Amino acid sequence: MIRRLLLALLLAAVYTLAAAVDYPSVVAGRPLSFPRDYGSHPDFRNEWWYVTGWAKDAQGRDYGFQVTFFRHRPGVAEDSPSAFAPRQLLFAHVALTDAAGGRLHHDQRAARGGFGLAEAQREDTAVWIGDWSLRRDGETYRTRVEAGDFALALDFRPTQAPLPEGKGGYSRKGPLPRQASYYYSLPHLAVSGRVAVAGQEREVTGTAWLDHEWSSEGLAPGAVGWDWAGVNFKDGGALMAFRLRDRKGATVWSAATWRDAGGKVRTFAPGDVVFTPRRRWHSPRSGADYPVAMGIAVPGLKLELEALLDDQEIDGRRSTRAIYWEGAVRALQAGVEVGVGYLELTGYWQALKL
Amino acid sequence: MPGELIESPLILRDLAKSYGQRTVLAGIGLELEAGEYVAIMGESGVGKSTLLNLVAGLDRPDAGTIRVAGTDLAGLDDEGLARLRRQHLGFVFQAFHLLPYLSIAQNVALPLVLNDLPRPAIDARVAEVLAAVGLEARRDDSPSRLSGGESQRVAIARAVVHRPSLLLADEPTGNLDAAAAAGVLELLRRSIKEAGAAGILVTHSRAAAESTDRIYRLTGDALVPL
Amino acid sequence: MASLYLAPEVRRLALASQGWRGLVGVLALVLGVALGYGVHRVHAVAVAEAEEAARRLAGEADLAVQAIQGGMAESLYPRLATRPEVAAASPLVELEAKVPSKGPDGRERLRVLGLDIFRAAELQPVLAALPEPTEALYPDRVFLNPAAAAWLGVGPGGTVALQSGMGAVTFKVAGTVDLPGQPLAIMDIAAAQGAFGFLGSLSRIDLRLKPGVDRTRAATALASLLPAGVRIEPPTARARQVAEFTRAYRVNLGMLALVALFTGGLLVFSSQALAVVRRRPQLALLRTLGLSRRELLTLLLAEALVLGLAGSLVGVVLGQGLADLLLRTVGADLGSTYLRGLAPRAGVDWGMAAAYVALGMATALAGSLAPALEAARASPARALRGGDGEELSARRPSPRTGLFLAFLAGVAVGLPAVARLPVFGYVAVALFLLAAIALLPWATGLLLALAARLPLSRWVAAQLGLAQLRAAAGQVSLSLAPLVASVAVAAAMAVMVGSFRHSLEDWLDRLLPADLYLRTGGPGDSAFLPAEAQSRLAALPGMARIEFRRSLNLSLAPDKPPVALLVRTVNAGTPDSTLPLVGPWRLPGRGYPEVWISEAMPDLYGWHPGQIVELPLEKGALPARVAGVWRDYARSGGAIVLDRDAYVAASGDTSANEAAIWLAPGTEAGEVAREIADLFPGGRVAVEFPGELKRFSLSLFDRTFAATYALEAAAVVVGLAGLSASFAALVLARRREFGVLRHLGMDRRAIAAMLAFQGALLASVALVVGFVLGGVLSIVLIQVVNRQSFHWSMDMQVPWGPLAGFAAAVACLAVLTAAASGRLAMARDAVLAVREDW
Repeated sequence: MIRRLLLALLLAAVYTLAAAVDYPSVVAGRPLSFPRDYGSHPDFRNEWWYVTGWAKDAQGRDYGFQVTFFRHRPGVAEDSPSAFAPRQLLFAHVALTDAAGGRLHHDQRAARGGFGLAEAQREDTAVWIGDWSLRRDGETYRTRVEAGDFALALDFRPTQAPLPEGKGGYSRKGPLPRQASYYYSLPHLAVSGRVAVAGQEREVTGTAWLDHEWSSEGLAPGAVGWDWAGVNFKDGGALMAFRLRDRKGATVWSAATWRDAGGKVRTFAPGDVVFTPRRRWHSPRSGADYPVAMGIAVPGLKLELEALLDDQEIDGRRSTRAIYWEGAVRALQAGVEVGVGYLELTGYWQALKL
Repeated sequence: MPGELIESPLILRDLAKSYGQRTVLAGIGLELEAGEYVAIMGESGVGKSTLLNLVAGLDRPDAGTIRVAGTDLAGLDDEGLARLRRQHLGFVFQAFHLLPYLSIAQNVALPLVLNDLPRPAIDARVAEVLAAVGLEARRDDSPSRLSGGESQRVAIARAVVHRPSLLLADEPTGNLDAAAAAGVLELLRRSIKEAGAAGILVTHSRAAAESTDRIYRLTGDALVPL
Repeated sequence: MASLYLAPEVRRLALASQGWRGLVGVLALVLGVALGYGVHRVHAVAVAEAEEAARRLAGEADLAVQAIQGGMAESLYPRLATRPEVAAASPLVELEAKVPSKGPDGRERLRVLGLDIFRAAELQPVLAALPEPTEALYPDRVFLNPAAAAWLGVGPGGTVALQSGMGAVTFKVAGTVDLPGQPLAIMDIAAAQGAFGFLGSLSRIDLRLKPGVDRTRAATALASLLPAGVRIEPPTARARQVAEFTRAYRVNLGMLALVALFTGGLLVFSSQALAVVRRRPQLALLRTLGLSRRELLTLLLAEALVLGLAGSLVGVVLGQGLADLLLRTVGADLGSTYLRGLAPRAGVDWGMAAAYVALGMATALAGSLAPALEAARASPARALRGGDGEELSARRPSPRTGLFLAFLAGVAVGLPAVARLPVFGYVAVALFLLAAIALLPWATGLLLALAARLPLSRWVAAQLGLAQLRAAAGQVSLSLAPLVASVAVAAAMAVMVGSFRHSLEDWLDRLLPADLYLRTGGPGDSAFLPAEAQSRLAALPGMARIEFRRSLNLSLAPDKPPVALLVRTVNAGTPDSTLPLVGPWRLPGRGYPEVWISEAMPDLYGWHPGQIVELPLEKGALPARVAGVWRDYARSGGAIVLDRDAYVAASGDTSANEAAIWLAPGTEAGEVAREIADLFPGGRVAVEFPGELKRFSLSLFDRTFAATYALEAAAVVVGLAGLSASFAALVLARRREFGVLRHLGMDRRAIAAMLAFQGALLASVALVVGFVLGGVLSIVLIQVVNRQSFHWSMDMQVPWGPLAGFAAAVACLAVLTAAASGRLAMARDAVLAVREDW
């Protein structure tokens, strides 16, 4: 998934300076293989596990949450004998949108891998930085995050099979074949656990979406950012759609995958996916204008996305060095809520350069 | 030096002195014989002090001659003038000017010491002079313990101890009460006469002037006998 | 009443005829304040820079886990990082790297900090702001702070080679990091570990604790996890050590400035006292015109305050200029080597400036108090009548007050240091000075009475001059006080510095008996000679004997600078052949290895011969017996000598960073030096000749004390200026007496001779009293102030020659000064003054 190229872009400096390290290429036709592909792929340049979802407490308050772990291989000091050699770097972003409190809370971490303090394991999903973690325990994913002013202790139980994006997990990110990633999603994860905001801990339940994506390639030339959305429909269907934008806001590349309630998967080529900004929100902090209401259309499906909260902007400069918008959205059809999901808007603050 | 002795202790001829544009003295003449004691009176600022300074060799005249004990002051340098003062001149000041850090006897002995006389001669002469002014009993006292009259008697003793040719007294009774003044004037006159010196008393006081042989009034261009 | 003081008539009367003589006192104040504030400013700036650098590096760390010597196992890092008390842990490798481009003799080293940029950013905000943090991951990149960039003369894009072991590693300068203070290079921790032989080990781990965790309790809990040789301490402990290094030096210089101020106070005192005497008729007139005693006192003190304020303000401005000048030219260390490489910005410290202005005003006030009280107490009637306006005190001065002050000073000498500063040493110096000033009238009287017995008193001018001085002994001693004080301090410093230099030369001779010395680096260095290099060295032709040495840093206490552990060959039977031992030593005992400690160790750590001590080596504590104490001028923080065999047995470390080489007869030292240089190309080893080492040490010594010489010279010049002013005042006040003498037939030459004689007499009195006092002060400086500041002793050695020259110079200047005032005595108005009667 493109949005997660965010990280790669943010590490642009590393890219340009990287020594001649042979990163493996993403090639079409390699089938995903589980449980191995739940684990990390440290030879690739970038990798992430990205959980976004909606939760509700007993009082009916809505929460949006995001838990992301990035793994990055900078390609430096690969032959260093030191245990501190920065062969693998790990980053984490966590966010909690408290609709009742009208606020987005977020926090981030960055570390070099090693010493058991920050790792991404190969065998299965197990990635952590200190006491922030995301692990697969049996079938269930568990995350534990003690952030600055909030905490998450959530379990995610898959209710559907993994959804390979693109062609069997080979997801194109640009006009060239190598501009691609390995990418699968787990929509409709059943959420249970606790969220704590301002010292108040609450039991919650809800629905989440997990992306796991790895690649060695950067952003397509001309692209300055992207829009991404993942929606869980009430009827059990799921839609992932993204587009890369150029400086003028025009689409450089786009793609979408729709698995309907019956389990039928449709993938869409660039020409088929249309993003239409409906309403913009101006961030008083960064000055960026985000299309927090967005129309998405693919053949056979038209959706209107409306933000749970306008201000879901995340300042990630301390780890990935960018400011972007990542927030819980409702999916509407003819004014009726048909699902919930997450929308990611990057490149609106500053053009991301490769 | 018999030749010198023959000449008068003081001869002034055509003495003139100006300070800038202001002429203080012009054409002053005076000659004093040994044992002659005169008073010079005059208003303030008429040049009495200037005249004394010229006679003492502390100031140089613009014109005219000053001869003290046969020596023309014009021919002397600073050292010569100093020697002349310590051999031939005696001074009595209105404010006595005894040196506070010397005893009375030391104050009196000072001119003799400066003339490098042998110690026994000094001691004998100081005793003699102190006896003459009636203060032999106070010889080791500090000058600060003397009354005004006593101080001036010591000053007179110091002025005559080295037997000067000429004694210059500048208002010596100015700081004294009448009784003390009379005593001091009497002592001054007697000392001059006994020493065979010439004496000039500069004063504003007619009564003091009366104690001398002759009184002049200084007018700037002449000494007018009264 | 204020308006009264402002009335021009009163002001004119009060300040009349102060003129330039009053200015001398002010000048002294200016000098004292300027020196005091200037020196303070320079050191405050330097120390603040060092502390700020340490503080900013420490960032938000609550605790630092520190390897006492060498390093600690890196496995400690995850153990500490995962502790429940710990919120963030930042591992660090810290070392001092030699810079080959600075030449083989480059003694300065570059401090290198290897860190994990991600961990460090959690603790040190300054590092989070690196321009290209990802650059910091590269093993061949360094970030330099401005001082390092300036020192090395490279900017981003340039390269810098650093020595590692016997090799050199080249780094690319990736950018600058805004850290003040010493030259510093920051690089990735993996790079530092790999390049400088730190694989598997760390120097330090900075910890931030979770909110609400008690620091002391956490420190105790975490300390139990630490192996021997690793300590947990507040992160600012290091900053304090830097300040600690410079503190004694700072305080010594500051004290000299305060002595200048003290001299200034004395000058104010003497000039005000003389001014009051001279102005007695005017002041009496003010009293008769209706000014009350209190009003007169207030008037005089207000006048002193105004003078003090003016002088202090000028002094602070000059001091600021002085500080800027010194920082730009000499550097922040004023020639000492403690704070090398700092390029601090001099700013104005308003608080301190205000404090020095207040101090200057207080000095002026204190100096004026006694004369003002006396003036206020005087009877106006008598003052108006008094002929010369001058009354000679008939009181015989009593030595009682002075002796009491000297007794108090003696008590202060015996007291120990406070907070490791020789506070009571300074108190003793001040008390001895005050005692001497109090004894001065008595001593002056005594010396003048002695002078009266000299044969030359037959000479009239001498007799008169002596009589005049003896009569005015009280007043004369007033005018001598500043000169006595400055002569005493100068003499004391001369004796102290002379003794120090003599002892240092002697010490260098004892410590450098070999023909050649080879050095790769000092304690904490990145360069060392492995065993293989040692045998190659020993195999060179022409060597009679070679002795390998190793020096390390041991941290024995968190609040004290590290102690140097010097590993060398010591002949236990005759240790005094290798070390400049002081006091008795023990013959080798059994069981424990012997160590010889420098004089600082008993002072700082209470170690004493015979004691069993523990040396915290990397492998664990080594118990050793203190065999004796030796004198060490190189390390005021303390040094321990341990025999190399014992060290190798305990630590297994056979590396060395120094070697002493004795040559076979007939071998040319320069030839061997060249062979060694060929053996280790690239300037990685410095070969030093003992002669050069001695010259270098002594020139360093001389540079260090250059500032003090300048201060002394300034103090003496001010003292002489004070004498000159007082002398002129004396002559002016007595000019009628000189007029009488002229009337009585003394010529100019005789009067000039009389004055010159008086000048010589006064100078002699000042020199005799000053030298006696200086001798006492030098003992205090050597035995108390230096011993307590630097923890080393020295053999007292009086530099008679220079002192005699100094005395002759002071006497000549005094005679010239006096003769110059003869012009005043012989001026026409002086002669005529006898008849300016009122």
